[in-house]
Amino acid sequence: MPPPLNVLLVDDEVVRAAMVEEALVAEGHRVICRLTSPASLNEMVARHQPDVVIIDMESPDRDTLDSMALLNRENPRPVVFFADQHDPDTLQAALKAGVSAYVVDGLLPGRVKAIIEVAIARFDAFQSMRHELEKTRNQLTERKRIERAKGLLMKHQDCDEEQAYRMLRKLAMDRSQRIAEVADSVIDILERLSPRSSDPTSSKQGPLP
Amino acid sequence: MSAMDMNKTPELNRLTLGFVPLLDAALLVIARERGFFAAQGIDVSLSRENAWSTLRDKVAAGLLDGAQMLSPMPLAMSLGLERAPCDALAPITLSRNGNAFVLSTSLCEQSGAALGSEPAASARALGNWLGQGRRPRLAMVYPFSCQHYLLREWLALGGIDPDRDVELVVLPPPRMVTALSEGQIDGFCAGEPWGSLAEHYRVGRLVASGAQLWPEHPEKVLGVTHSWAHHYPATLAALIRALVAASEWLAETPENRRQALAWLALPPYLDRSVNHLDSLPLDTAPIHQRLYGPGVLRPDVEAMGRIAEQLNRSLRHVERSLDIPALHECYSPVHFDAAMHQ
Repeated sequence: MPPPLNVLLVDDEVVRAAMVEEALVAEGHRVICRLTSPASLNEMVARHQPDVVIIDMESPDRDTLDSMALLNRENPRPVVFFADQHDPDTLQAALKAGVSAYVVDGLLPGRVKAIIEVAIARFDAFQSMRHELEKTRNQLTERKRIERAKGLLMKHQDCDEEQAYRMLRKLAMDRSQRIAEVADSVIDILERLSPRSSDPTSSKQGPLP
Repeated sequence: MSAMDMNKTPELNRLTLGFVPLLDAALLVIARERGFFAAQGIDVSLSRENAWSTLRDKVAAGLLDGAQMLSPMPLAMSLGLERAPCDALAPITLSRNGNAFVLSTSLCEQSGAALGSEPAASARALGNWLGQGRRPRLAMVYPFSCQHYLLREWLALGGIDPDRDVELVVLPPPRMVTALSEGQIDGFCAGEPWGSLAEHYRVGRLVASGAQLWPEHPEKVLGVTHSWAHHYPATLAALIRALVAASEWLAETPENRRQALAWLALPPYLDRSVNHLDSLPLDTAPIHQRLYGPGVLRPDVEAMGRIAEQLNRSLRHVERSLDIPALHECYSPVHFDAAMHQ
């Protein structure tokens, strides 16, 4: 079995970092996790001498890492950007997943590629997880918007909740829109008519007195 | 290119440009908020980037159509100095000057370094203090940047060897003030508003400016890849015209400058980092930030002279020398002139 590699992981997303760490440890690597903190990244790299650095592409620490090879020419373990490994497919996949990687010059390309592919897979998995969460959250607020529109209709049309809902549904059918979209335009129009009634907490209680 | 070609409808109607939170992102923000992009038939989104290297990689990979770039960046990209070469261009300059040298308040008090009409005076004060065996850590924003080159020249004025007597580190501009206040760094060279913000919070003092060393140097440019410019010439012309219109609008009245600052203070742009300013501080001493004026936006190979010289010096370490045709290609005014003379 090839010797384990030292991987430095720089990621502010705690859950994602844990996912990547777990997968790399399972492959037999040593992983050092680091949140963006006031501690100097230069010192971190000098102390742990990582073979590979995996960093969130959106991290503000990227410039510091990127410049290390250029500024510290006397550095015994020059860290180079993964792009220098001439593997456009993996690079493109990494960019799309938001993974940046720096590797020690001279490391076997195959071993590095395996590590980066693990990181890409975990970053992608985390992304779809977050996407699902956001969808749920949007559905929640959608329901709140519909409640709000119903409340406004009940007040302006002097009708009950059932009638207000039927009105929304009919509008949606007429316009071939989703109920939430119709609710948005109802809120827009009715709140402009009576801006004082736009109490964001009133949706739960139904019509204002 | 004929005048007719330039009037063609832009090939792209939606595009995304990257920026880093700095005052000299102003023309991009104005062109979007005041509708100058829209008037040219393009819908431009602005994407705030956390690091220059990320912005560079996204432009190279086509994830961004273009971006606000440090003026040496398109040349460094074309020469493949940081990573695989990617031919890039600077078809329009976005700003001149704008950089400040800031030292921590305690370093100023100990060394006696202070702002004066001569940038060499504060550098000498720091140099004399360093003689006592300290090695302060100074930050700049990117290896291929005016901030890096200016910092080296300023240190040299004080007899300070930038590689031996100080430790140079790279931090993105929005991190400078916090890093200074937490003692992670002892000083920095960065664009506005970060220098004046350090003074505002009393964590550091301005001791010199980039404009004192290199008056009127091109600081930020719009950077696009060569292949993007080749595929979308009418879109590029539309971008150039919108940015020129934004610059002319900014020059018109003090109210416009205040309005521009109000846009920059919106959360997606510079947010609260400009709250200490009353208006866009344009052409005030010592920083002399310039976003408008005759010839300010037209790319100019001559004006890149000092920058090219410094870049050439850093190339010597890798036993290469500056490719003069690449320099001319990068900063050629041909796209600017074609867009403006129709």
